[in-house]
Amino acid sequence: MSNLPPGFREPSVEGEFEEYYLNMGPQHPSTHGALRLVIRLTGETIIEVVPHLGYIHRGMEKQAENLGYTQYIMMSDRQDYLTAIQNNLGVCLALEKGAGIGVPERAEYIRVIMTELGRIASHLVFYACYGGDLGGQTVLLYGFKEREMIHDIFEEVTGQRLTTNFFRPGGSRMDVPDTFIPRVKAFLAHLEKTLPDYDRLLTKNIALVERSVGVGKLTKEQALAYGCSGPVARASGVNYDVRKNDPYSIYSSLDFNVPVMYNGDCYDRYLIRWQEMYESIKIIKQCIEKFPAGPYRSKEKPNFKLPAGSFYAASETAKGLYGTYVVSTGGANPYRIHTRSPSFSNVSAVNAMAKGEKISDLVTILASIDPVIPEIDR
Amino acid sequence: MGIMNFVPKVLDPVPGGKYVVNMVDYVVNWARANSLWPLTYGTSCCAIEMMSSSMARYDIARFGSEVFRDSPRQADLFIIAGTITEKMAPAVQMLWEQIPGPKYAIAMGACTISGGPFRYDNYSVVRGAEQVIPVDVYIPGCPPRPEALFNGLLKLREKIMKESYRNPWHEGETSKAGEIERWAEASKAWAAAEKIKDEEMAAAREAFKANPPEDYVAYKPVRVAKEAFPDVERPVVTEIGKSYKELYKIAKSVAPELSIFGKEDSSDETLDSLPKDLPLDVVVSKENYLKLVEFLKNDSRTKFEVLTDVVGVDWKDHFDVIAQLLSVEYGHKMFVRVSLPKDESIPEEKRATSLLASIPSLSSLFVGAELKEREVYDLFGIKFEGHPDLRRLFMPEDFVGYPLRKDFTHPHILKKPV
Amino acid sequence: MYTPSNPNIVGDFVREWVPNLVAYLPATVQGYIPSAEIAALINVVICMVAMGVAGIGPVPVLIYMERKICAHIQCRLGPMRLGPHGVLQLAADIMKLLFKEVYAPKSVQTFLYYLAPILVVTAPFLNLCMIPFGKNLQVADLDIAIPFIIAVNGFGILSTMLAGWASNNKYSLISGMRSGAQLISYEVSFALVLLLIVMLAGSASLGGITESQSGNFWDWWIFKAPVLGLLAFVMFLISSTAELNRAPFDVAEAEQELTGGHHTEYTGMAFSMFYLAEYINLFTTCCVATVCFLGGYNAPCIGIAAVDGILNMVPGIVWFLAKAFFMVVVYMMFRWTFVRPRTDLLMALEWKFLLPVNLIMLVLGFVFVAFGLFLP
Repeated sequence: MSNLPPGFREPSVEGEFEEYYLNMGPQHPSTHGALRLVIRLTGETIIEVVPHLGYIHRGMEKQAENLGYTQYIMMSDRQDYLTAIQNNLGVCLALEKGAGIGVPERAEYIRVIMTELGRIASHLVFYACYGGDLGGQTVLLYGFKEREMIHDIFEEVTGQRLTTNFFRPGGSRMDVPDTFIPRVKAFLAHLEKTLPDYDRLLTKNIALVERSVGVGKLTKEQALAYGCSGPVARASGVNYDVRKNDPYSIYSSLDFNVPVMYNGDCYDRYLIRWQEMYESIKIIKQCIEKFPAGPYRSKEKPNFKLPAGSFYAASETAKGLYGTYVVSTGGANPYRIHTRSPSFSNVSAVNAMAKGEKISDLVTILASIDPVIPEIDR
Repeated sequence: MGIMNFVPKVLDPVPGGKYVVNMVDYVVNWARANSLWPLTYGTSCCAIEMMSSSMARYDIARFGSEVFRDSPRQADLFIIAGTITEKMAPAVQMLWEQIPGPKYAIAMGACTISGGPFRYDNYSVVRGAEQVIPVDVYIPGCPPRPEALFNGLLKLREKIMKESYRNPWHEGETSKAGEIERWAEASKAWAAAEKIKDEEMAAAREAFKANPPEDYVAYKPVRVAKEAFPDVERPVVTEIGKSYKELYKIAKSVAPELSIFGKEDSSDETLDSLPKDLPLDVVVSKENYLKLVEFLKNDSRTKFEVLTDVVGVDWKDHFDVIAQLLSVEYGHKMFVRVSLPKDESIPEEKRATSLLASIPSLSSLFVGAELKEREVYDLFGIKFEGHPDLRRLFMPEDFVGYPLRKDFTHPHILKKPV
Repeated sequence: MYTPSNPNIVGDFVREWVPNLVAYLPATVQGYIPSAEIAALINVVICMVAMGVAGIGPVPVLIYMERKICAHIQCRLGPMRLGPHGVLQLAADIMKLLFKEVYAPKSVQTFLYYLAPILVVTAPFLNLCMIPFGKNLQVADLDIAIPFIIAVNGFGILSTMLAGWASNNKYSLISGMRSGAQLISYEVSFALVLLLIVMLAGSASLGGITESQSGNFWDWWIFKAPVLGLLAFVMFLISSTAELNRAPFDVAEAEQELTGGHHTEYTGMAFSMFYLAEYINLFTTCCVATVCFLGGYNAPCIGIAAVDGILNMVPGIVWFLAKAFFMVVVYMMFRWTFVRPRTDLLMALEWKFLLPVNLIMLVLGFVFVAFGLFLP
């Protein structure tokens, strides 16, 4: 035990096996950013994986203690930059709870449409990276193609492609333009035509099926123990979606399903994101039908302050349960803000998934978790 | 390269030979400028825009740069996409040194120019890539659009075309001067320039005031009427899963000293008056902490199977460690809070660098607690007893201090510690 | 002294004129000059130059094609800036690689490290010597051309394994081992498919195989043996893609897993040698496929005399190159469409599926030959 490097604790394999260590990252094409994994191997079989985090730890929580409350929304953009808009919502929900601010109906619809678009964008990136990490470079480009269209909508509405910084406590920063609804409609029509194509390209591909079915198994008990959430947990049979079980915004009035699968392998995690994309399309369609007129935000408070106390709000981003915990002492700055990032818990389960698999499978597993590293490190 | 260094040396003194040298220079520069193979590297948001730029819509391949090499030994161009942290900086430096010359670096985004949004009040971000490696082109933006990256690429191309045999490519130098000093120097220069400008302009202003042109209209600010927004009531929410009263009673049966955080008493009225959209927040003693969480996890009435997070709070005189529990089956949440007094026996000068409190670890109950507790250990300096692998998580092993404590100081943090 | 069995304009010209030139020399010297050997030597030099051109010539075209085809499959444009539609892009790339710094990491085994990129380009050139680009346009028409190609292909993996070993990098080592295992496995089915063709054609020389397909286009082996030919062609595609180490069977390079595999540690020219060898190999394999399945330099006659007359007027080398480049496009479409299988799955595919099927096909081929079940 004692002669193993820090973090490793599996006993050595009996027999004539020579063990060696492989360092993956922080600069590696398939670690999705600055993640570093140290792998203990015999041959190509993984004995243990130890994640080393913090290569993109930017001290957001400390910095937020010297910022105003609404300035943390900008920070949340830079956590999960694939769906920055969902993080904006997560922070705003907590701030609204603290300040007791309600949200007008139109603002709620804007929120739901925008976040669901963000979810589709994130899952498209997942699809792209999953194909790309398995060696299908073309898939990588196809996924990003449709995502650009979502970013066009984001750019028109918020002024930024990636780091949207759009929602505010009580609504949004500004109203959506008149072209918003027609554009979303046109985009959905386009997406419904192209998604089946992409599905056909990859989902039934024999190489993909062989590489993902039964690979990276995560049982329900493990998923719960590691605190996994989102598609990773739902692929293992954990039927929990914040939108359904702890509804925020107007999700309780919308009709959608939470897809759950039970094998807990990479293929289920892949399929579940496809189904979520279709569900998101369903949600957006309902919102477009009912999209109301009215104010896009409630009454502005000039100096945004929270009363003393601690507040917590959870929301469901594309990666899972995004929680914001705010402690206030009544001042202009938050006393402490903590973000519960879904990727952090999901990545902590990588060892459980990768044990006994091959190096190639580790790439598949990482892609199927779909982690965003700055969200882990914050 | 051998021949390339040798031929111009011979040809340059020969009359007319410089034209040949110039021609060779042009051809070599043309090749270098138009075949920039970038390194696959990215840490954060800018990396996604860098990826976007190689995708179908923007297509960096038009410039011949789609050959993203994963190995630094085959790359020419280092697009530094994303924030560089103190922990990442050695890796960035190593990558740069592995790229064979002639090599170029593009700093993409605000973080690599100056630290960007993380410049002030931050303890872990390197203030700009030039602190670590020499940079050729800076692209502003947070993150910059792909078009901006292309513009940077073209600017770099212009720079390369200016190289010659007489002024060959050479590795630049990193910025040694601290950012703050440079800023201070620059602001002094600006102030001096402003003063001169004021002096020069004073006479002109006087003349203008004395004799304004006939069509001159003084500027008057126009105030746009603010849009009136309604005050909206928050919707009424109901408790999910078990009610606070039940949860509290169940928990109280295990830990008799239980109390509600921020409340004096724990009567039914108090429990009813708690806001329904926030989880029940109970305070438990350190001794009963592990017992209570284990009970809550296994009891069929509560079934808190998921530990969503472990959070620390520094209250100047004591720490709070909050275990955030969630029941997937019922949907209710609970925060179990332990108040840990700081260890007063440690002398004042050592307090900042030593562990000040300890608490039992939850890693025997939840495997996922391991990393979460390591985060609290790393950022607050709270010891978790029984943790199998208590090391720093985010900060490098040799980092001094615990950043999220209120008395933590760092040269980059402008605000005085409380 | 090797003298080819079939007539060759260039070779005959040299063989004829060297003695004539020697005749001008003083008579006392003439007896000492081995004119036949000199003629053979000159022929060898001509062949080397020709193979150099035939080997390296297509590479820029192939790389340009690769970049453009991949771009168009992926809904983008590819290189556009240098020259019309980016045709000069490759010139810039090659020139830049020439002028890059070359260095070896401190811990490599220097001799083996530099040997690997030299070896890697040797094997494809040897193969290229066997290819009949047109009637009598061939360096050597060996009777054992097919076994020779199989043998030389096996030689190619040596450089990959050397590079993997000498680089002193774990990723490279894994890559070297992977490619060793993969190539040894796929060699088996690659050889079996080619042996099937040898059996059908009744000849192991590439010239003989091409001759056996002369006639109309349904006399090509892909069509001539109904179903079996097509099956063999698909088998050849799969096993040769694996032989070539090209995506989707590029487990050795496996960019996403091994960051470049065996050439992770190579810079500048050494790296471009691997790049070069990959494309010469691709071209050679396409040539072999053309000879074995698509009738080599034979024109695709359709049985109508008037049309065939016109088709036959086109030189054989044009048909050959057209077919070879068609094959190149097929390989590239392959590469940019499918995802990569895992190493052990790749092995399972070979030993559990391709090998039995190939053996059955060999038996079927025997039945076809024995009963003459060919298209007329």
